[in-house]
Amino acid sequence: MEDQIFVSDLPSLDTLYPGKVTLDTRSGYSGFIVPREFLLEVSTEIHDVWGYDMLSSITGVDYFPEKMEVVYHFYRSLGGGALVLKVQVPRDDAVVPSIFSIYNGAEFQEREAWDLLGIKFDGHPDLRRILMWEGFEGFPLRKDWKEAYYEGDTKPFSSRWPEGVAEHSENKNIFNDNVKYPENFDPDKWIASGEEALYLGLQKSENGKDMETESIVINLGPQHPSTHGVFRMAALVDGEEIVDLKPAFGYLHRNHEKIGERNTFLQNMPFTDRLDYISSMSNNFGYALAVEKLMGVKPPERAEYIRVIMAELTRIESHFMSTGFLLNDLGAFFTPALYALKERELILDVFEAVSGSRMMCNYFRFGGVVRDLPAGIQETIKNLAFERLPGKVDELDQLLTENEIVRSRCMGIGVLTAEQAINLSVTGPILRASGVPYDIRRADPYSIYDRFDFDIPVFYHGDVYDRYLIRIEEMRQSVRIIQQAITQIPEGPVFEGKPQYQVRVPAGEAYGRVEAPKGELGFYVVSNGQANPWRYHVRAPSFINLTSLRQMCLKYKVADVIAILGSIDIVLGEVDR
Amino acid sequence: MIDAALIWEWIIKSLILIIFLTVGFMYVTVYERRFLARIQSRIGPNRAGPFGLLQPAADGLKLIFKEELIPANADKFIFLLAPIITVIPALIVLAVIPWGEAMVIFGRQVNLFISDVNVAVVYIMAVTSISVYGITLAGWSSNNKYALLGGLRATAQMISYELALGLAFMGPVVLAGSLSMVDIVRAQQSSLWYVVLQPAAFLIYFFASIAEINRAPFDMPEAEQELTAGYHAEYSGMKFALFFMAEYIKMIAISTIGATLFFGGFDGPFVDQIPWLGPIYLLAKVVIYLGVLIWVRASWPRIRYDRLMQLGWKIMFPLALLNVIITAVVVVLVN
Amino acid sequence: MPVIGTIFYAFLAIVAVGSALGMLINRNAIYSALFLVLNFATVAVLYLALGAPFIALSQITVYAGAIMVLFLFVITLLGAEKLPGYEPIKGHRIVAIGLAFVFIAELVLFFFFRNQVTGPIPLIGPEFASPRNIGVLMFTEYLLPFEVVAFILLSATVGAIMLTKPERKSTTKLSQQQD
Repeated sequence: MEDQIFVSDLPSLDTLYPGKVTLDTRSGYSGFIVPREFLLEVSTEIHDVWGYDMLSSITGVDYFPEKMEVVYHFYRSLGGGALVLKVQVPRDDAVVPSIFSIYNGAEFQEREAWDLLGIKFDGHPDLRRILMWEGFEGFPLRKDWKEAYYEGDTKPFSSRWPEGVAEHSENKNIFNDNVKYPENFDPDKWIASGEEALYLGLQKSENGKDMETESIVINLGPQHPSTHGVFRMAALVDGEEIVDLKPAFGYLHRNHEKIGERNTFLQNMPFTDRLDYISSMSNNFGYALAVEKLMGVKPPERAEYIRVIMAELTRIESHFMSTGFLLNDLGAFFTPALYALKERELILDVFEAVSGSRMMCNYFRFGGVVRDLPAGIQETIKNLAFERLPGKVDELDQLLTENEIVRSRCMGIGVLTAEQAINLSVTGPILRASGVPYDIRRADPYSIYDRFDFDIPVFYHGDVYDRYLIRIEEMRQSVRIIQQAITQIPEGPVFEGKPQYQVRVPAGEAYGRVEAPKGELGFYVVSNGQANPWRYHVRAPSFINLTSLRQMCLKYKVADVIAILGSIDIVLGEVDR
Repeated sequence: MIDAALIWEWIIKSLILIIFLTVGFMYVTVYERRFLARIQSRIGPNRAGPFGLLQPAADGLKLIFKEELIPANADKFIFLLAPIITVIPALIVLAVIPWGEAMVIFGRQVNLFISDVNVAVVYIMAVTSISVYGITLAGWSSNNKYALLGGLRATAQMISYELALGLAFMGPVVLAGSLSMVDIVRAQQSSLWYVVLQPAAFLIYFFASIAEINRAPFDMPEAEQELTAGYHAEYSGMKFALFFMAEYIKMIAISTIGATLFFGGFDGPFVDQIPWLGPIYLLAKVVIYLGVLIWVRASWPRIRYDRLMQLGWKIMFPLALLNVIITAVVVVLVN
Repeated sequence: MPVIGTIFYAFLAIVAVGSALGMLINRNAIYSALFLVLNFATVAVLYLALGAPFIALSQITVYAGAIMVLFLFVITLLGAEKLPGYEPIKGHRIVAIGLAFVFIAELVLFFFFRNQVTGPIPLIGPEFASPRNIGVLMFTEYLLPFEVVAFILLSATVGAIMLTKPERKSTTKLSQQQD
């Protein structure tokens, strides 16, 4: 069967599995609809027979008041487009079988869908809330759930409009009025029962029979200097060895997606900056791609080049940061981090010049970018790409790669094999360090990446050291892309059509994904023709890459956990959303 | 003869040493911050006073006004005791180091050392060996998992490196034929500095002493990234300042001991004609030695705990032993 | 001067005995260990007063610096600082008290029936307890005991290593089969 697979082929599942799979024929929609009783069977088939071994995204859409839909995006690790499966269930009986046994990467995404949408996944090993707190009542992404200070379903709220009543609801609404607590709930007396569930979930080692050793639970975080934010790992350790580990997060959860559904399409653009705040240009890129797919617009040539340059500059600065702070996690006292930050500042200067902001760029628009490159900045970028950055990447390489302590701390630590990486939905540098040459810029090209000459670096040990090396190598490739783009960039407009505050987005769904510095960043957007997205889902790479953290940390030491976490390169703004 | 003048001389010299160490501690922090900053292409603290020279005063003032927290389930007595017994060994270890040749001050012959005991090296080993108590007790009494782990790591690390450190002392001792620091310096005046004659012993001393005082890259007990702050995680205010002070005074101490054992101590050109140069030479050597320690901290990541123990027991200890045996054999053969 | 010396000695003696008692009585193993360290230090000062700095400092390095640090390490590692209120070995208190009485009896006998010192106490030179003299004595007059002690310590080290070495695979399998 294997030799019959062609990467570009999308199997017509509806004819292959008649009666079990039907084509999604709604206008603006694609993919297949599977009844829930056949989901496991069909996903086993597409995994084993059709080679769709990567689960990109699981999310749900609340088609209030009719039904709840669970949307799965599968890809092949060889490359090619998406296979989209949908399962439709009634809202009051939202139960779907868990595909965790086939795709281990479903673990956190199914928990997220349960947490926010109340879709129950049968057979999930640890279906607890993941982003919201344990005592929370209700499922906030359901359309009938109202938040505190609820003013209206969509922005702009009429109360904020000049001719409306200039009275804001936070002024008249006492905080507790709108928060729904469970019955007999007293927030002052609440003890987190989720803590116990978290600790009970940790599995004791099975081979501890010949010696009685005491395992203790160590909480690394949420307030810990090297968790890169408010992130927590509950680790069961035997001596200093990790027996089991579970990440816990959501401390900074702000329900990005709910806010995104209140916003208009364009209001979401600056909001994506706040996801992975290190690389806001990439976030803009992903969201712009998704909405452009829905609108059917294409940016002009010059805008495409500017986008690629900005995205690659973002990759370089993000990798500089991650490399520098990985060394910090290894115990170096800030020297590598500050050397890296120095270069990052230069790139941020470019961002400031083009967008007016160093970190929260908000530079992309649907159909182009917001404004053209200011005079002289093209020279600055050229100078960076040809003179400054290649030398500085080499310098970092020279100073760190052969360092004996770095090698002994990183080599053979946190190993993730290629099969595990694919199965755990790992993307980005971590996947490629495990020996899978999967980069969306090549595997499923978007924008104008097919025009440039660059390599996809791959390393095969899957350890922390390879993840470090791959970032160094990717910076070099990004420099190559920028060099080509900045010399080839044509003159012309940077925006298609007339800039407007309120874009018209036809009904339908779209999944736009880009190779962000941290991995695959996907935006699943559903429009119903209104001014606001009906559903706005972010497939956050940091969040999903964390699924593999446990696998990577088992059997290593506590000190290694910190290095491994550093090598995953998470940004909590994106993990917690 | 012990007379009143001699007792006064001892008291004054001890006071000078303690003041030197405490003031030195303040300025080593500034030195470290400024030098680190230059390495990291930053400027460093330069706001308080000219060139940031009042920075330690500002830091001290801040720490004095910090709230002193004692964790609810801590062992209060030992929690208070721990910082004190961490500082004391650091303050007394340098009593046997000579600062210069004897000279005449106010018509009185004054030796520029507090004590020239004939067991100076053993004294240094004894004092360094008890300096771990403060850290272990701080870790234990804080009732905090991170602190306890830090204390345990400190203990294991110090025991492991003490052997190599003691054996590294033995190289100069065998060459000089004396346990007295003054004799070791004199012996280096007549021959080469021992860093040339005993390079292996110096390297072992250098790394073992860094491990002994828990400096990067051997700062396992306080490993910020893993154990937050290790044994002093629960300490605040002046109690924390005492730990901080002990750490920097220990830095000065190992620099001074290293300079004395391997770099000729107060030895230098013209020191026999102008005895005032002795302390200046020693100070210059200590400052350079400290600079190297800071440079090491700026350059290297921390090595992992189990590898640190392996390095201590499987490489440093046998090497140090071998060095002592070879030195002893050579000394016997040459004589 | 003799008065000061006597006061000094009395003070040290009280501290030494007091810390020894404190070590025995205290119910917290950490405090017991610390009392023992204090005891060692006081004894070291006594050596120092007797003009034997090398032995005093060796006492501190070896007992306070190495052995008690290891004790403390093990106590904190095992979290065994709270001593149990019961007797781990049945009747060991009675045996211990009995042994203590035997020891006191021995001391008393020794003081009453020891050879009376006749003539002046031989003067010892300032170099008597110098490291050089100790080294010479150790390698000439006391060579045999020194080597015997070294050998015993070596065999103890080897034994400790053997005890902590992980069992070989074959034996583990055997024990599993027996299970």
